[in-house]
Amino acid sequence: MASPEMEIKNLRHYYHGKKILDIPYFQVSQGECLVIIGPNGAGKSTLLRIASLLEKPAEGEIFFRGNKVTAQNELAFRRRIVYLLDKPLFFRGKVKDNLLYGLKIRGVSKKEQAQRLEELSELFHLHSFLESDPQELSAGEKQRINLARALIIKPDLLLLDEPFASLDLNLKNEIMAEFQAIRKKRAQTTVIVTHNREEAFYLAERLAVLIAGEIKQTGSPEEILALPRSMEIASLLGHESLVEGSVVGQQNGLLQVAAGSNYIYAFGSAERGEKVKVVFRPEEVILAEERPQTSVRNWFYGQVVEVKPMDRVVFVSLDCGFRLKAYLTKQALEELKIAPGKSFWAGVKASSLSARPSTAKKVEKDSGEN
Amino acid sequence: MAQGLSAGEILGIIRLTLFISGLATLLAFLLAMPVAFFFYFRHFPGRKIIVSLINTGMGLPPVVVGLMVALFLWRSGPLGSLKLMYTPAAMVIAQIILAWPIIAGLSLAAFEQVNPELLLQARALGASRFQLALTLSREARLGEISGIIAAFGAVISEVGAVMMVGGNIKGQTRVLTTAILQETRLGNFHLALVLALILLAISLAINLVLTSWQQKGLRTWPRQRWK
Repeated sequence: MASPEMEIKNLRHYYHGKKILDIPYFQVSQGECLVIIGPNGAGKSTLLRIASLLEKPAEGEIFFRGNKVTAQNELAFRRRIVYLLDKPLFFRGKVKDNLLYGLKIRGVSKKEQAQRLEELSELFHLHSFLESDPQELSAGEKQRINLARALIIKPDLLLLDEPFASLDLNLKNEIMAEFQAIRKKRAQTTVIVTHNREEAFYLAERLAVLIAGEIKQTGSPEEILALPRSMEIASLLGHESLVEGSVVGQQNGLLQVAAGSNYIYAFGSAERGEKVKVVFRPEEVILAEERPQTSVRNWFYGQVVEVKPMDRVVFVSLDCGFRLKAYLTKQALEELKIAPGKSFWAGVKASSLSARPSTAKKVEKDSGEN
Repeated sequence: MAQGLSAGEILGIIRLTLFISGLATLLAFLLAMPVAFFFYFRHFPGRKIIVSLINTGMGLPPVVVGLMVALFLWRSGPLGSLKLMYTPAAMVIAQIILAWPIIAGLSLAAFEQVNPELLLQARALGASRFQLALTLSREARLGEISGIIAAFGAVISEVGAVMMVGGNIKGQTRVLTTAILQETRLGNFHLALVLALILLAISLAINLVLTSWQQKGLRTWPRQRWK
């Protein structure tokens, strides 16, 4: 494991007397892309501001490459960190002046400035804008310039606050891909905060879930997706509460859950007889007219009650004795001629479902106060 | 040339006028900026009162400033030993006092117009405290130069303070405004009018330069109007 770029220990932070962050330990490893995901108001931006050393935490210590940050070395360390606010804000002057701002204040030589400007203009396709006024450019161009002016500094630690939130979907995907390629090539240590799970899964090498000022779970995106530690995390990551039932059997870590007239197979740990909630991601659902012979364990027969086209997918809701939600592609919708009133088989792999004990106590403890 | 003053004398008066008011504006600017930065970055109880005082200072009557400076510089006053009374130095001091609150007040107001998040972004890109102040100053350029224009306009056109502490001594402390006053008193309206036109022309020329500096790089939007 790479050595830590930054460690934050025993962090507590308050705003108007209210505790907004409580993080015993937080670490960013060199070269990794850590995404902090959390709902609005979870304290993501504040955590980022503290990590950028712009805001001193009320309690706690910050270590930068093993050195404790103090008032004396704060500026020197701050110069090795770049933090971009959640909207691109530019200084008076041309795009070029804005791109070079960070290098100028660091006293980088003119020659080096020109070299790096050339490199970044190439990577982000900025050549034709260099002499423009950034305020007159489009949202996508602004965000490219914003990312470029951070990457041009080659910081040891790059902190990004919702960097792609203001972009429409196509542009977002394009710029995220550009950014991701550069980040990987440079092994740029990066922390990104977002409330958008698609961004999070696309960008994250490691994911941290921040809810109500506490880091509830960290791990690889796959790990957290497969086994969210609480209902709250599950719903944040797009799991929809499927159905409540009680455990009637257990084999090889697979629980058999009785819910109404259905049996549901899901991963999880619970005692026989215990009440559980089975959750899953609506993307994991497949629909079929006939029940196919596959390894998929869970098949439910139900009638379509709602079809709602969304950004890239179509939301379909079926009544299977419980309400089952699915995201399907437009292609699937047309092929199967899915429409309200028609009935289908809905399949979900057992490995895509997880069962959580639904006792109030357990959930409350995991989800904090929010 | 007009009766009473030779062309050389008039040139001397113009030169002294520009020197005194220019130097006073420059020094006032250098003294005002740190104060404007201080009040922008520091918030403490009583700040509002001090800022109000500075803003009130923008309208200080020149004769009152002249009187105060005279009291200090008078031979028996606290700074009497410096023997500055009736010298160009005394006039510069009086004009600094007039120009300073105008520059400090308008600059502070201009700073407060700058988006604070932009400054946070500057720090987040690595700006030190000093670099942050420079960035702030660049962002607030429009308002700052307005302050300089207003201050220079105020001091080059005032007569009360320079009269009281300069004494309007021919060839030593006579500036355009005091010369206009003098010639009008003597009934040389023609000469007074010429001097007045010169004063206006100088004001206009300097404001043209300052204004074009101020408006440099100002955005203009292509406008299509319904006719």
